[in-house]
Amino acid sequence: MNTIVKMLITLTIVGVISGGLLSQISNWAEPKIEMNRKLETERAIFLVQPEAKSYLKIEEADFELYQVFKDENKSESIGYALPFEGNGFQGKIRLMVGVNVDLQQLVGLEVLEQVETPGLGTKVTEKPFTNQFIGLTANPIVNWTKAEANKDKSEIQTITGATISSKAIVVIINDGLSKLRSTVENGEAK
Amino acid sequence: MNTITENPTYKLELASSPHVHSRWNTKQAMWMVVFALIPSLISAVIFFGFYQLIVVGVSLFFCIATEYAIKRIRKRKPTLMDGSAVITGLLLGLILPPNFNLAFTALGAIFAISIGKEVFGGLGYNIFNPALVGRAFLQAAFPVPMTTWQQPNFASLDSVSSATPLSAFKFDKVFADLSNLFIGNIGGSIGETSSLAILIGGLFIIFAGIANWRVPLAMTLGVLIFGGIFWLIDPMTYPNPLFHLFAGGFLFGALFMATDWVSSPYTVKGMWIFGLGTALIIVMIRLFGGLPEGVMYAILFMNAFVPLINRYTRPKVFGAEK
Amino acid sequence: MSKNVSAVKDFTKGLWEQNAVFKQVLGMCPTLAVTVSAINGIAMALATTFVLVFSSMIISLIRKLIPTQVRIASYILIIATFVTIVDLVMKALFPELSKALGPYIPLIVVNCLILGRQEAFSSKNGVFRSVLDALGMGAGFLLALFMLGGVREILGSRTLLGFQVLPNLYEPWLVMILPAGAFLTLGLLMAYFNNREINKKTKQREAILQKHLSSKQSPAVEGGEA
Repeated sequence: MNTIVKMLITLTIVGVISGGLLSQISNWAEPKIEMNRKLETERAIFLVQPEAKSYLKIEEADFELYQVFKDENKSESIGYALPFEGNGFQGKIRLMVGVNVDLQQLVGLEVLEQVETPGLGTKVTEKPFTNQFIGLTANPIVNWTKAEANKDKSEIQTITGATISSKAIVVIINDGLSKLRSTVENGEAK
Repeated sequence: MNTITENPTYKLELASSPHVHSRWNTKQAMWMVVFALIPSLISAVIFFGFYQLIVVGVSLFFCIATEYAIKRIRKRKPTLMDGSAVITGLLLGLILPPNFNLAFTALGAIFAISIGKEVFGGLGYNIFNPALVGRAFLQAAFPVPMTTWQQPNFASLDSVSSATPLSAFKFDKVFADLSNLFIGNIGGSIGETSSLAILIGGLFIIFAGIANWRVPLAMTLGVLIFGGIFWLIDPMTYPNPLFHLFAGGFLFGALFMATDWVSSPYTVKGMWIFGLGTALIIVMIRLFGGLPEGVMYAILFMNAFVPLINRYTRPKVFGAEK
Repeated sequence: MSKNVSAVKDFTKGLWEQNAVFKQVLGMCPTLAVTVSAINGIAMALATTFVLVFSSMIISLIRKLIPTQVRIASYILIIATFVTIVDLVMKALFPELSKALGPYIPLIVVNCLILGRQEAFSSKNGVFRSVLDALGMGAGFLLALFMLGGVREILGSRTLLGFQVLPNLYEPWLVMILPAGAFLTLGLLMAYFNNREINKKTKQREAILQKHLSSKQSPAVEGGEA
């Protein structure tokens, strides 16, 4: 009996002290972590919308969506920044896509998270690949080809040896675009 | 004590596998395999040019040099003349893409002999086929050069990149012409494209009694059965089983890799299990995997099961209780 | 005097003689998973060392208060507390590094090295010695992870700590930053160190034998003359 009481008391004390300590640390760390997350999103938004000066989170959409503006006081909208995710070769890929205001032209692309094969699939995060999307008109969707890309046909060229990862990016963008278009057309977002 | 070991009459020779399976001793058998690879070398020169002989030569040289160096470091008797390093070098060279970078070839050869064979204790102790270990390493280390294929171009130095029939099937759903597949007028590894040349060499070692016929036969039947099932289900999406047989490295793998004495089973039942298992994995990788070709991984994978297969298929000792 | 020697020993044994990775083969999950670059290895080892030192300190302080029946549960609670602290602090101050190490920081809780030291050492020894032991083990872990991460980074991306050390002519071996490269590097490093040790021991044994033989031989020769 005595040992059981002793065991209970020891574990309770250790647990209470540990919990108290952690709540203190968490109080200190949580705002900083939140801040980091916000900074990262902000950085990505301005990367895919280089001309933007300010942005606004659209709360009406049932997914994460940001409207971006040309000036600080959010009067002239120049498009949207859309974080979207889907499946890559080995795991989840998260993208930030910049789209202009008529939802046709891509302004920028940034890969936020990926677990593709190092050195092969990870090339989708690099400039030679992502730059292909800048200024590309998705009419109606982005297409891919293994040969030289034809911009008039909304084409991008896949990476040799990383066809699956390249295609995954295109599919994620197309999914995101269709969702964005239907949301905007239904007037849920202004 | 000393007198016994010094007296030749009492010397007990202990040797690991490969044991003599046939009327040839190990040394003769090894050299006959080398001889059997000559048709494939000729087909390589015809389809991809003389440069391929340099690739194979570099692979050969570094395999032999590594074997010699390691034997010296470990202070063992050099066993160069048993020909096993020569075979590994030739096989590795023949399963690389045409015009492969020579520095990478050398690295693959060094890796094949040192990690594929010598770290296990040398010939007879290796679990995996050394040439395939070398290729698997190169595939993981340099995936882009390892999957850059050249169009066959009768002895011209202009290299035009092309897809192999297997990647054309996998990514673009294009089926290759079977007669080209058979002769070898297709994109692919240096010595793997010409089914005709491989069959000449392969049937030679089988009829000479050097390679066992059961593993290649089991693999062939396996691919025809498993590939055939899918073909019968839907001939539009799944290729003809004959395509499986002549495309990629199947024949080369079945005749020269899976028949390796050291890394394949020694029981009759085990050989059938090994062959059918390899065939099943090949078909699965080709039809449903992320990679177009699966012969290398299938054989390496089944190599790992060989000790287990041998153990469970060991014939019962006569009169012993079960 | 002898107390000082044993204190030094408490620290140094973890560096090499009982190195967590190369000798005890403990903590393989973080060792193999995060060492794609030297900086990841260092960060992982420092995080582990922090947890190890503080848990060792606390556990050796309260070792007499914990009933044996619940000691593992208490140890894990204490270890998990420090791991969560490390995780939160890293997320707050070094978000990039925390992202690179991913789930392996929370997984320090189950690193056998930490629980192993508590069971084997700090539950039986005083605070001072326990902290020294933890620091030594941590330093040894750091050494091993830096070596693994360094080799893999040099061969796999031709840089060390982000600085290019191999010329562009050298084509990086992609395999080294894949999981297979971790196993290859660890195996080869271990083989190299074991081989060196065996050679050293053989030489020592031969030297002793030689000495023994020559000291025995000389009286025998004298005896022969007599």
